[in-house]
Amino acid sequence: MQDFLELAVSATASGCVYGLIALAYLLMIRPTGIINFAVGEWAMVAAFGGHLLLSRYEWNYAVGMALVLGFMFAVGLVTERVAVRPLVRQPILAPILALLGVLVVTRELISVSFPPDPLPVPFPFGIGRLEFGPVGGSYQNFFIIGLTLLTFVAAWLFFEKTLWGKAFEAVALNRRAAALMGINLSRVTAFSFGAGAAVAGLGGLLVSPNVSAHYLMGVPLAIQGFTALVIGGVGRVEGALLGGLLLAFAEQLTIRYAPIPGGYAQGVPLLFLIVFLVVRPTGLLRAKA
Amino acid sequence: MIRFLVAFIVLAAAPFFLGDYHNDVYRKMLLWIALALGYNFLFGICGQVAFSHFAFYGIGAYSVVILLFQLSVPLPLAILLGIGICVLVALAVAIPSTRLEGFYLALATLALAQLFVVILNEGGAVTGGTGGIANYRLPSIFGFQVRGPWYTAVIVLLVLFTYWILARLDRSWFGRACRAVRDNPEAAAAMGVDVARTKVIAFTLTSALAGIAGMVYAFVDNTVNPPIFGLDNAFLLLFMVIVGGSGRHAGAVIGAALLFLLPFWLSPIVGHHHVLVFGVLMLAAILLQPQGLIGVFDSIRRKL
Repeated sequence: MQDFLELAVSATASGCVYGLIALAYLLMIRPTGIINFAVGEWAMVAAFGGHLLLSRYEWNYAVGMALVLGFMFAVGLVTERVAVRPLVRQPILAPILALLGVLVVTRELISVSFPPDPLPVPFPFGIGRLEFGPVGGSYQNFFIIGLTLLTFVAAWLFFEKTLWGKAFEAVALNRRAAALMGINLSRVTAFSFGAGAAVAGLGGLLVSPNVSAHYLMGVPLAIQGFTALVIGGVGRVEGALLGGLLLAFAEQLTIRYAPIPGGYAQGVPLLFLIVFLVVRPTGLLRAKA
Repeated sequence: MIRFLVAFIVLAAAPFFLGDYHNDVYRKMLLWIALALGYNFLFGICGQVAFSHFAFYGIGAYSVVILLFQLSVPLPLAILLGIGICVLVALAVAIPSTRLEGFYLALATLALAQLFVVILNEGGAVTGGTGGIANYRLPSIFGFQVRGPWYTAVIVLLVLFTYWILARLDRSWFGRACRAVRDNPEAAAAMGVDVARTKVIAFTLTSALAGIAGMVYAFVDNTVNPPIFGLDNAFLLLFMVIVGGSGRHAGAVIGAALLFLLPFWLSPIVGHHHVLVFGVLMLAAILLQPQGLIGVFDSIRRKL
């Protein structure tokens, strides 16, 4: 039981990271229909930003984090301007493929600029354990869970309570009608990419103290995040978190308890992705009518 | 027919004038061209973005090696069984995944390609694990050892065979059905095209062709190992077709040859960071020249 509770906390933390990446996808898919596979690279870029500001220049964590997230927002805006807006009149596949080009260019730029070894990113509260009765875990795991919950509450409030959120929903439901109602489509698209990049960056920054910043960390995160999205469904914000948690628990329980070689555990999210895409492409949660 | 014969003689004669190193480069370029031709049919002509094409290349290579040297199957039977395996796997993937729209197919096949590498790494004695299988030789055929430039002739035959099948199909009813499915599936269905069946056939056929190319590849380096069949090369294949000009056979050939040879010319300037150049070229192609290099070539020819 002790063993399981320990596992549950760490699985919840990694599920939160997958959920954040899934939320980043969702922010962009809802209004534009574009699956941006470069979100994993954005998480990677933020991890390197964290290494640069927090580890190399030893800035205050909160200031450094705010700066990295602000930078990621700008990266999202620039990406939208360069690779999405010029292709607005083309089939949806054109920007998706262009973003694959962005993915490769981003990864290679980082690999040119930094040494190839994994680079350290500091823990905001150092290394230590927090215990609530039988439930215990590292500071970082609770930090990840807390910030992720905050982000999801903010995203939920944004979609439910603000005019901007309503505009997002309107564009998601019907682009033409939304444009006719006076919603500025290109501004919604630009904002969705900025917010997507910031959320993906938050995921990368949170996971990086545990795994170190490495230029190849992007694609696995992108696959895990997308799997979480497919499990939860693109219809609702909370689906992204639910999908992330389910995926992380499945992954960690397999590694811990299933009698198969450890290497096969890498296959768990892949199998999940294939099975869910084929059997239940709309995800577990149905979109609200 | 005569054109194919002339092309075969010219392309197959070339390696007899090349050294060992250049012969090796030439062979691998031809293999990339064969892959790109198939991928162009799937992606450029039928409009399906799949990342499993390179995995099928690996499935072909691994199955022929495992059949020949672990199960001691005779060569002709191993080739037939290898093709059979590729077709079966392709069908198993294609039938459920053609229900997926647009880029969801890409992600399902991407997961499949990654899963394939995981299985190769964890396969133990059967796949040789992370080190793969090495130190084998192509069995002699009727007492002859096909090697050196003669084996390159086999690869030329493969490329021409791939081109011949795909070009014929492209001009047939089936090719037009594929283009219709790519451009407007609803309209294609209204015109009596069975959309799902067209997609399944195109996917299975091109995957089987990739598998055959993989079998030929298995005896180029006489080693098969997991990193070769990873995701990077699957992306590269997509970039080749887009940069060359998707939907055109000549575009696939130009794109494959250019992106394969580019690292050799670029290495004095950018070291091994040529993938950065690939990414920029691919972005530039999508943003500025959706018809690819073959489109540039066409517009120059029109002006002359």
